[in-house]
Amino acid sequence: MTLIEAPLNIPLRIIDLSGGEGARRRLMALGFHKNDIIKLDGQAILHGPLLIRNLSSDTKVALGRGIAQKILVEEVHERP
Amino acid sequence: MSDPKIPVVVFIGQPNSGKSTLFNSIAGHKAETSNFPGTSIQHTHSRVNIEGRLLDIIDLPGTYSLCPTDRAEKVVLSHLFSEKPDLVINVVDASTLSRNLELSLELIELGRPMVIALNMMDLAERKGIEVDVAKLQDLLGAPVVPTIAAFGRGIKELLERVFDVLDGGQSLQGIRGSGDVEDKIAEMEKLIPPGFPIVGNRRFTAVKLIETGGMACGDMLGEVDPQLASLLVSIRKDLEERRGAPAYEIISAERHHLAMKIFEESSRVLRGKRLTWETKADAVLMHPIFGYVILAAVFLAFFFIIFKVGNPLEELLLGPFENLKAALGSRLGDGLAFYLAEGLIQGVGGGMAIVLPYFLPLLFLMALLEDLGYLSRAGFLLDAFMHKIGLHGKSVSPFIIGFGCSVPAIVSTRILESQRDRILTSLLIPFIPCAARTTIILALVAFYLGPWWAMGFYLGNIAVVALIGWVISRFLKEPSPGLILEIPSLKAPRPSAVARKTWLQLYSFIRFAWPILIAGSLVLSLMGYFGADRLVNDILSPLVSKGLGLPRELGVTLVFGFLRKELSLIMMLQALGVEYQELLTVITKEQIIVFTVFVSFFIPCLSTFAILWREIGRKWAFISAGLSISVALALSWLVRLVI
Repeated sequence: MTLIEAPLNIPLRIIDLSGGEGARRRLMALGFHKNDIIKLDGQAILHGPLLIRNLSSDTKVALGRGIAQKILVEEVHERP
Repeated sequence: MSDPKIPVVVFIGQPNSGKSTLFNSIAGHKAETSNFPGTSIQHTHSRVNIEGRLLDIIDLPGTYSLCPTDRAEKVVLSHLFSEKPDLVINVVDASTLSRNLELSLELIELGRPMVIALNMMDLAERKGIEVDVAKLQDLLGAPVVPTIAAFGRGIKELLERVFDVLDGGQSLQGIRGSGDVEDKIAEMEKLIPPGFPIVGNRRFTAVKLIETGGMACGDMLGEVDPQLASLLVSIRKDLEERRGAPAYEIISAERHHLAMKIFEESSRVLRGKRLTWETKADAVLMHPIFGYVILAAVFLAFFFIIFKVGNPLEELLLGPFENLKAALGSRLGDGLAFYLAEGLIQGVGGGMAIVLPYFLPLLFLMALLEDLGYLSRAGFLLDAFMHKIGLHGKSVSPFIIGFGCSVPAIVSTRILESQRDRILTSLLIPFIPCAARTTIILALVAFYLGPWWAMGFYLGNIAVVALIGWVISRFLKEPSPGLILEIPSLKAPRPSAVARKTWLQLYSFIRFAWPILIAGSLVLSLMGYFGADRLVNDILSPLVSKGLGLPRELGVTLVFGFLRKELSLIMMLQALGVEYQELLTVITKEQIIVFTVFVSFFIPCLSTFAILWREIGRKWAFISAGLSISVALALSWLVRLVI
């Protein structure tokens, strides 16, 4: 599923980052890579951005929907 | 740039790592010369004396990596490569250690002598992160010193390590990643021909060539050498086929995994402590309802404080300039000397007494909100609205600065990654009522028609900005890349850091805008002396009196007002030959509105035009001016028809 469809407050694994090179480079610079475990913390009203937390580095970013759409995730069931 | 015997030390770190606070606490107490901003507001340079030894220390803007994705980050790279510092202090935020280590790994690859300041240890502790400093130092191969810059802790030891490394030298070993990637890097390293511009060292150059294809990073070009370029392409392709991902992603992922590994080996996270007060605070601050209530309250307080502080300051400062002018008038008579003196006084006075009183508190409060971490949260909340005008949440802070002055607002668009967003934001900023125009709105609309009219005028103005944004974004084919904005930890702002940030902004404003303000003012005075104003009024009279229904004497004020925008009101009174209180005897309330609309939307000032030229180019500066002229004419004509 894409990040937009993902449930709130559940650990998620990034399985793919697509989208333009610029956006991907920026995401990686901010420490978001394939296989990272993240969590959807919330979202703004009126189709606003999503609030994402990277559980490994404990950093937070706001992502616009255009970019969130291009991030594929899956739910993580087992706790490492 | 300085005495060759004095070592140069640069501060590099990711945004929000507390780098500037650390810099400040070293430069603040032991400065030999006072702090002063460099050629741009983007780096600060200070010479310090530490127990008898001199150091030149330089603070660079925060950067996430050595592959810049916006203009502010490029400054770091070009500085690092051109100045070749003797030592790098890498400031690392211990509370987000794993991500910060990715930059450290890049710096280690670069191989300049380096000391790591493991900063914000207190915040890390609160988050339940325990770092084994000795282990981390072992893994990285560079000295690591725990610090809490906000309280000045660890700084003495940090400086000791700095001198140890400067005296004893250091050889950093790039930390190796996976075998197949390393093989390709080694292969590339061997291919680099003699005479190729090596950056840092051969390995770093090879890594960056693979990572960027020789294009995006700094000035390195595989294209200087076509044979090398084709070899580079084949190495990249090899790697990409083997790993099934673009080369830049493979290299970046290598660093990411190394950083995570080092983090895991050197740190312990106490799980239960993770849900700290900050998560709870953010749940409220970014709540779909409470978040906006708080945002509205913050902005109301923001503007209330600015006017509460600015208004008395303005009156206090304006008086002496008026007196000075009157005194000169009686001394110098009516000759050229008087006109020149008048132009000079009005130019200096306008900048100091009208713009500054509002601009200074605005800068201070902005710096406060930024250091608190609230600005990015406001960006998150307002992103959806910004999308309606073709932009996103990151443009919020340049817009807010625009309420103070367009010039620094346009400079601050450098934080936007895409050129498209920079241009659109820079085109809209001149329409936002800056401090100078707000004083005109207050003095004319609020005074003669009442505060509700002024409020309505303000809101109408913002609606017009939104409308213009919506229209322009239809013409820009490229879509906005969208929002990627870090939400930093909430922190208590340090007064010294806030004050320093305010001063840097103010200084660059004064240095850039004041000379232009004064020159424009002199030109206007000379026009008055040579009688050119009457000629201009005659030429413009069809437009001014027939088109807009205003007294023809206002022609110069309207069209050349951009030379002295902050004094439009005084110019208007002079042109009409009346005192402020008698204004309604020569002009109607409707005319006041038409005049204010025109002045608000017309080219804001010469400095704005100049900064647009410098920041986004001549073409866009002229487009912006043309846009201002058409919007001002169309709107004021429309307003005349309606009322």
